[in-house]
Amino acid sequence: MKEEGKHNKKAKKYGMVINLDNCTGCGACMVACMAENNVPFKEDESDKLDSITWMRVYKLANGESYPDADICYLPRPCMHCEGYHGHSPCVSVCPAVATDYNHDTGIVSQIYTRCFGCRYCMGACPYHARYFNWWDPVWPEGMTKYLSPNVSARMRGIVEKCSFCFHRHQLAMDKAFLEGRTELEENEYQTSCTQACPAGAITFGDLNNPHHKVNQMVKPDNKHGGRPGDPNAFRLLERLGTNPKVYYISSKEWVRRAGDNYLANEDRTVQQH
Amino acid sequence: MSTQDDKAKEVSADGAAGPIILFFILGLAASLVLGWVIFPKLLYSQKKQPIDFNHVLHVEAVDEGCESCHFFREDGSFSGVPKLAQCVECHGDVQGENPNEIKFVNDYVANGREVPWLVYARQPDCVFFSHAAHVKKAEMECSTCHEHIGESEHSRVYEENRITGYSRDIWGKNISGLKSNTWDRMKMDDCAECHATKEIKTDVETLPWPLNWAPLPYEKQTGNQASIKTVKEACFVCHK
Amino acid sequence: MKVGRRSFLSFIIGGAAGTAITPLPWKLMDDASIWSQNWPWTPVPPDGEYSYVNSVCTLCPGGCGISVRKVDDRVVKIEGMKGYPVNAGGICVLGLSGHQLLYSPTRVKSPLKRVGKRGEGKWEKISWDEAISEVAKKLSEIRSKGESHSVGSIVNADSGTIPNLFKRFLTAYGSPNFMTMPSMQDSYKMTLQLMQGVNAQAGFDAENADFILSFGSGIIDGWGSPVRMFKANSTWKANGKKVVQIEPRLSNTAAKSDKWIPIKPGTEAALALGLANVIITNSQHSQKISQSSGFESFKKLVQNEYSTDKVSQITGIDSASIVSLAKTFASASKPLAICGRGQGSTPGSLNEFMAVHALNALVGNINEQGGVWAVPEVDYIKWPEVNLDETATNGVQKERVDGAGSEYPHAKSLLNRLAEVVNSGDGSLEALFVTGANPLYSMPDSKAMKKAFDSIPFVVSFSSYMDETASNSDLILPNHVCLERYEDVPTTAGLQKNIIGLTRPVVKPQFSTKNVGDTIMLIAKALGGSIAEAFPWDSYEACLKETLGAKWDVLVENGFWSDSNSKTVSGEFNFYPKAMESLSNFSPVSLEGSTASYPLVLIPYDSIRLANGYIGDPPFVIKAVEDTVLNGKAACVEVNPKTGKELGLTEGRYASLHTPRGKAKVKVHLYEGIMPGIIALPRGLGHTAYDKYLAGKGCNFNELIGPAEDPVSGLDAAWGIRARLTKV
Repeated sequence: MKEEGKHNKKAKKYGMVINLDNCTGCGACMVACMAENNVPFKEDESDKLDSITWMRVYKLANGESYPDADICYLPRPCMHCEGYHGHSPCVSVCPAVATDYNHDTGIVSQIYTRCFGCRYCMGACPYHARYFNWWDPVWPEGMTKYLSPNVSARMRGIVEKCSFCFHRHQLAMDKAFLEGRTELEENEYQTSCTQACPAGAITFGDLNNPHHKVNQMVKPDNKHGGRPGDPNAFRLLERLGTNPKVYYISSKEWVRRAGDNYLANEDRTVQQH
Repeated sequence: MSTQDDKAKEVSADGAAGPIILFFILGLAASLVLGWVIFPKLLYSQKKQPIDFNHVLHVEAVDEGCESCHFFREDGSFSGVPKLAQCVECHGDVQGENPNEIKFVNDYVANGREVPWLVYARQPDCVFFSHAAHVKKAEMECSTCHEHIGESEHSRVYEENRITGYSRDIWGKNISGLKSNTWDRMKMDDCAECHATKEIKTDVETLPWPLNWAPLPYEKQTGNQASIKTVKEACFVCHK
Repeated sequence: MKVGRRSFLSFIIGGAAGTAITPLPWKLMDDASIWSQNWPWTPVPPDGEYSYVNSVCTLCPGGCGISVRKVDDRVVKIEGMKGYPVNAGGICVLGLSGHQLLYSPTRVKSPLKRVGKRGEGKWEKISWDEAISEVAKKLSEIRSKGESHSVGSIVNADSGTIPNLFKRFLTAYGSPNFMTMPSMQDSYKMTLQLMQGVNAQAGFDAENADFILSFGSGIIDGWGSPVRMFKANSTWKANGKKVVQIEPRLSNTAAKSDKWIPIKPGTEAALALGLANVIITNSQHSQKISQSSGFESFKKLVQNEYSTDKVSQITGIDSASIVSLAKTFASASKPLAICGRGQGSTPGSLNEFMAVHALNALVGNINEQGGVWAVPEVDYIKWPEVNLDETATNGVQKERVDGAGSEYPHAKSLLNRLAEVVNSGDGSLEALFVTGANPLYSMPDSKAMKKAFDSIPFVVSFSSYMDETASNSDLILPNHVCLERYEDVPTTAGLQKNIIGLTRPVVKPQFSTKNVGDTIMLIAKALGGSIAEAFPWDSYEACLKETLGAKWDVLVENGFWSDSNSKTVSGEFNFYPKAMESLSNFSPVSLEGSTASYPLVLIPYDSIRLANGYIGDPPFVIKAVEDTVLNGKAACVEVNPKTGKELGLTEGRYASLHTPRGKAKVKVHLYEGIMPGIIALPRGLGHTAYDKYLAGKGCNFNELIGPAEDPVSGLDAAWGIRARLTKV
């Protein structure tokens, strides 16, 4: 019985590959995320430090003068760092077990009702991917009608962040269970931003699965902390050892160099430990 | 020194030991009555269901048991308490002479108004519960959590906790929190109890971690240890 | 027995001991901790049955298919519709926020009648019957005075059943003044008419082109049908196709192109003709096309007037770049040149359109794969002729107030001229209908437009939202929003396919609103006579069903109908229509203002994150706007650091921006991507209406610029204005 009950399924490592050559900076990922995850809004959102955007599109510049100037957009969700063996920066410091790393999916969770708002995780996160609710969310009259039941509305005093639309994973699993399956097809679980991106710049899937596009695109080297095998692929702050699951692809070297703090004459491709 | 001791003896021997014990027992008895009898009555308000529902009658009339009305939708979601539209399929008009049915048809069907059922098993908003995972994948019986509700002829009184606003069924009927059946309580500990004893999760050996990254000692335990923090089931599985 | 202190203490101790062995403290502790996590003012969205309804988005002219996710009867999310021929599952920020508009508090919830002064914001709720009879009474009065031609309407577009119902209404009523919101499509239409002799819309087979030369078109900034262009752009990238972007500012499109060539703004036509010159000189042009009429004259024109050196001087692009650009363009197998600045929301100079179209003709891509197609309108609106009574017959023969068809024979509608004509007393309107448009915000020199509106005695808005135009009207008869109504959406901007999409009700109307199609029919019926007879349908839905005939079932089934054979119309190509003669001596569209008092040039820029048409940014979209575009309450003006240094302006500080038409307080954003001497301001900010999430943020570019009449088309050709930027 026990042998039968054992699952053969391999643990997933859901991750994302964002092609910055295709990204047009249109912001559809940001808004699709807000709409999917009941992200609130307030009167002035131009102070980006307190503007809750689980997915935020940054604008990078190459620092050259006109007419050699160049810009590139970089969408930044939560990186769902695996760190050293699941010890991502935020999970390691949370005193409330409000954020957690799941080895089955590789997703870093955030449990709103457990969070007591110490913001230690925000200090620990090198990607500014976590946001604090300085105020209670308030929707204008009538607008609560569009809130989705799949994601709880947050309250004042807690931290929130991108969940890789984990509720979509749960809903997809429900459907799979109903159909007698325990495994999902690649297209069954996609994040809201991936689905919305009109330029097709975002790819989402299981980095451990060689049949999934994300794996084929960046060829992550699990023996070396998931380092990308593709020369055009890079991760943000690669040398920090956070082992993020969001990979970027750019054909421009200046963009790839913008992913970490390199010295002026430093070779980006030389691996250091 | 000794005089003081004597005085103390004197006082205690002054016939006061009796009343002290009596008052101790009185206090004890009063608090026991308060805690076990009065407190539960004060804690919960009693609410009647809008319609007295007869499960037995309905189970007899349908072909597929519970799932005839409490079914899974194609997308894997669970329908829960039936909506009016579903009831109308049979109760478009009054079928018999049952006053409850007449009330249902006149008050709700005729006005197209949903019945404000009080859901005994309603969980807080932060809980994600997958019926598909439990009923379809784990092949659990509905009664494991919902007792043999299908055998009830009347809707029992809905008791609402005045402090939390949740149904009494979550804590359980027994105010002490003890339970004798799996369906007696529906708190997180009760979920965890089952999840801890049954091997539900992936075996740790199959995780494709890089071999040169040896697991930390406590991660070597077997069982449900998908979570890095709790070394148990990960929180996100049931919380949203 | 005496109850002493000891007895009392004993009672308490007994009570405490007893309490400890009752559930009371433990249960209370548990409940209290649960209570502490209950935040009753935080909404708990009710769960229910999930469903998807397919429809078509009408928030911009893009016409994308949408899949609306519902939980029971609530809309919770809008996604792109998979397999829709325009957007193939993609969606933009505005479409994604459509549900915020549905449930927006800025919606007009019932017919409203103005009670205070115009624009004061004092309204009285009235019933639909009262509202309809109010309009009918007013229109009858005007008509009985023989002034029927002084009633006008401003509509978002001129194709589809709703605009045609308005047109029909005006015809039956007796007025020629059917006006539409201008866009680059007007210029393209006119170009095709003049150079190819066809009545068709320009469609671009962009996906199949392999070299795209864009004269300032914001391919990924919202030009054409935005999502479709995003997809095309990704296709080009995947297949190694090249994009060259010509504009003075490093826009997103420029940044994502293979080559950005900055140009002195306003000289694009000269560059196009300069390129034509190189192509002809090198005999790289299509031999077939050189047989076309006017080719020799055109050749002479470009050879005499647009030599590479001269063009280099005009445009500020070095000669070698011009020559190499011409060579690579002409030697590409499927080159395509496009124009229409930014999102194409202003028509632009007709010369520029003709010059660029000639370039396309030279490389032989007209009606060819990967080229520019002349796409005829889908011909499905076949309503019986309107029987005109005497008043109507007289009325429709009167000259239009905007001069379209008379002063400017090629033009169909010249809304840009309305303000000037009315304000100068050359023409007047007694009543005006506005639907699907917000001219008081989105027309250049919006202040003059407001002044013109002030002199029109009766303005009726059909807007769903309390926008600038609605708040300055006398009567609002609110339309359903697109998630509540039926509407046909014919071939969208720049699309080469013949398609019709169907917008359909996803949820029941939330408020006491009416489909504007029904409203206009009710008004006609209230007027009676031949006007009522012109509308034989019971309802708009019946009219739509009848109009679409057999296509209706297909539309309901698939959400769209498309012609299996792609249709194009062709006529003989004329390289040198009379309208082009003015190019024999190149002079760019002149900029308003003197160099002395306004040393800088202000140009607008479009961003896909800023809606600048009828719809304003919903809260989600305005939230996604960068802090270098909108900062606090101030719009940021892009200034080259060099220019900034000269003016003593530093990043993030306030400055005062003056143009001959207006002034605004802005913040400075130093940007290396803009040509020195030129400053740029985003379109889509500075609303005064809508809610606190949008109103009062930044400044409206249209308040700073005035229209410039194109000498041939009469359309607005202004692309910028002279400006002064000073420290405050």
